[in-house]
Amino acid sequence: MKSKSKFAGMIMLLLMFALTACSGGNGPKDGATPSNPDTPKSGNEASTGQDSKEPVTIEFMGHGNPNEKKIFEKLIASFEEKYPHVTVKYTSVPPGEYSQKMTTLISSGKVPDVFYVGGPEFYRFAEAGTLLNIQSYLDQTSLFNPDNVWKQAMDRYRFDGSKVGAGDMYGLPKDVGPWSFVYNKDLFDEAGVPYPSATAGEWTWDDMLEAAQKLTVDANGDGKPDQYGVGAYSLESAVWGNGGEYIDYATGTVKVNEPEFYEAMQFVADLNLKHKVSPNQEAEQAMNAYTRFINGQLAMFAMGPWDQPAFWELPFDWDIAAWPASPKTGQTATWLGSMGFSVSAKSKHPQEAFDLAAFLSLDEQGQRENYQLGQAVPNLIDMAEGEFKEMDKGPQTRQVFLDIIQDYGRPDVVAFSKDTQWIDTFNQNASKVWNGEMSAKDFTAQIQPKMQELYDKGNK
Amino acid sequence: MGTKLGGYRRRELAWLYLFVAPPVLGFLLFGLVPILFSIYISFHKWDMLTDPQWSGLGNYKDLLKDEKVFKSLYNTIYLMIGIPLGMILSMLLAILMNRKFAGISFMRTIYYLPVISPIIAVSLLWQWILNQDYGLLNNFLWETFGITGPNWLGKPEWVKPSLILIGLWSGIGGNMVLYLAGLQSISSTYYEAAEIDGAGAWHKLTRITIPLLTPIHFFVVVMGIIGAFQSFSQIYVLAVDGGPEYSGATVVYYIFQHAFEYFNMGYASAVAWVLGILIFIVTLIQFKLSNRWVYQD
Repeated sequence: MKSKSKFAGMIMLLLMFALTACSGGNGPKDGATPSNPDTPKSGNEASTGQDSKEPVTIEFMGHGNPNEKKIFEKLIASFEEKYPHVTVKYTSVPPGEYSQKMTTLISSGKVPDVFYVGGPEFYRFAEAGTLLNIQSYLDQTSLFNPDNVWKQAMDRYRFDGSKVGAGDMYGLPKDVGPWSFVYNKDLFDEAGVPYPSATAGEWTWDDMLEAAQKLTVDANGDGKPDQYGVGAYSLESAVWGNGGEYIDYATGTVKVNEPEFYEAMQFVADLNLKHKVSPNQEAEQAMNAYTRFINGQLAMFAMGPWDQPAFWELPFDWDIAAWPASPKTGQTATWLGSMGFSVSAKSKHPQEAFDLAAFLSLDEQGQRENYQLGQAVPNLIDMAEGEFKEMDKGPQTRQVFLDIIQDYGRPDVVAFSKDTQWIDTFNQNASKVWNGEMSAKDFTAQIQPKMQELYDKGNK
Repeated sequence: MGTKLGGYRRRELAWLYLFVAPPVLGFLLFGLVPILFSIYISFHKWDMLTDPQWSGLGNYKDLLKDEKVFKSLYNTIYLMIGIPLGMILSMLLAILMNRKFAGISFMRTIYYLPVISPIIAVSLLWQWILNQDYGLLNNFLWETFGITGPNWLGKPEWVKPSLILIGLWSGIGGNMVLYLAGLQSISSTYYEAAEIDGAGAWHKLTRITIPLLTPIHFFVVVMGIIGAFQSFSQIYVLAVDGGPEYSGATVVYYIFQHAFEYFNMGYASAVAWVLGILIFIVTLIQFKLSNRWVYQD
């Protein structure tokens, strides 16, 4: 009951202004030199020393864990070696504050030259004219071959003036994050249950449920299982696999009230409510599925490539498999996350900024370090299909990551939304289904009009 | 008015202005300007990326149709249950602490500690205390009474009581100090006179102490309500995304979400202004009513 918060927001804003005011000027050297931004030069010939180019400073802002920061510091050092006339100022902010800070910087006209963008952000920034159209630079660059980059990753950063996913490039992928189905091999061995298949479509929901029932164990007989079959099962995977959709972006219709959707949702809810093979909400809050998996008390779970370093430390064997397919359609699906690098439309040195973005996104050595440290799947197709797949650290079946990227991974629901309130409302109230208060059918029928209204208001 | 003093006076005044300049300028620049700007922006749609677009009363109309505004307002008012509870507890505590014995100042300090602890850190600690499975509180309930404690922060019906509990814990110390000051300003002559008339402890409390403390009650109520209307930090930490079914979200949290998650700055400003005016009206009513019950010498 303290009134500290009243000014907290305001002070935060002011602090941001203050902080960014200090990082604005780059000295008198640049700015005076028009580096003719209209005629992109090919960026591969490392400058031949002597006179050729005026020194340039570009700012780069990102976020991430200390590991990631280290990688980027290394990458930037090798970039500066390759382009001696460029100095990069790198700022890394905590992920939670990134979106706020970036938006504040944009509104105060102090945008870094190169910065991270993610789903809804990319859309908002592209539409607001904050991002540089890098198509012409891309067409002329000899830094890399666009055909050797995942199409699914590139398409995330296309914008045609009104929609994301088609048109010119306004960013380059930093990574793609295939959300995969992970399982504890030791627990499967103990229970004598065959492993899930790594091939999409072979292993269905029913098979998964059967396995989960055998893998849910209450050893001490207190009525609460101390080992669960499956945890945090992806609703997106179930819905999409079942032929359902959250929304049809082409028409802007929210479709959660259709049978394909609510049947899938009910299936996920019933894993706990009916079959008790998944922790209920309370158990989940007491100890989340991630912790249970790490402790060896959960047989099936989900992971992203960024979980690799933590999972390498685990005392048990684990691997990834294809997400279970809907028995109704035989289809399987999951979401494919992604972050990207964009260049500011206001950048004074668009060529150098583009070169940095391209280097960070696609430099072979950088990509190699990244995957070896377990941060991501390489953006470069030949590397991903070659040395990445051969890597001797878990998961063993790395092909699954690639299958998701190429075949059945889809952008997360919010990737094409500027305003995410409609989906947030769904998630905020979905607990009524998870805890058995309402059936998925009733709940989705009730929430659909609200979601539609919010979507129309925020995105049309 | 002496002209002889004029020069001296003027110098004196110059110094005065010099000394008050920093806070005044600070307020103008970092207080008044943002306040005026937020009025301006509340009549616009502004995503912080493109130029603000005039929308007239659009934000205010939307707000009246927005169920989340009312839900968060309801949550906020619900949290005010903590105010009377806190008053009773802190007054009793003050009466307990209003005597002389060894270690009294240490005791007072203990009760005052939560007030000066950073609220974010405190909230994180409470998150552990209230955890359903391994939290201190439920453990204590189980070990001592054999009761299985509720899922404090995970069930919509328990979130607000949890927040009230935390509010009590962190607010009692501050109010206790206020009540102590009030108690010490009550002249002992009243009590002596009452004793001669044969009044017992109960009568002394209800007929002398509580009535004479009304200025403090008033202050505590006014500040408590304003504080409750503005509660944010503990919600931000304890009720992720507004808590289950948005049951923990307060108005300020809702404003924050619109401002810094959805970047609807115009809408957030409009809600903020409605809240500000609401607080103003409530406080005004309290002042109007105060002369009916607050004792003034």
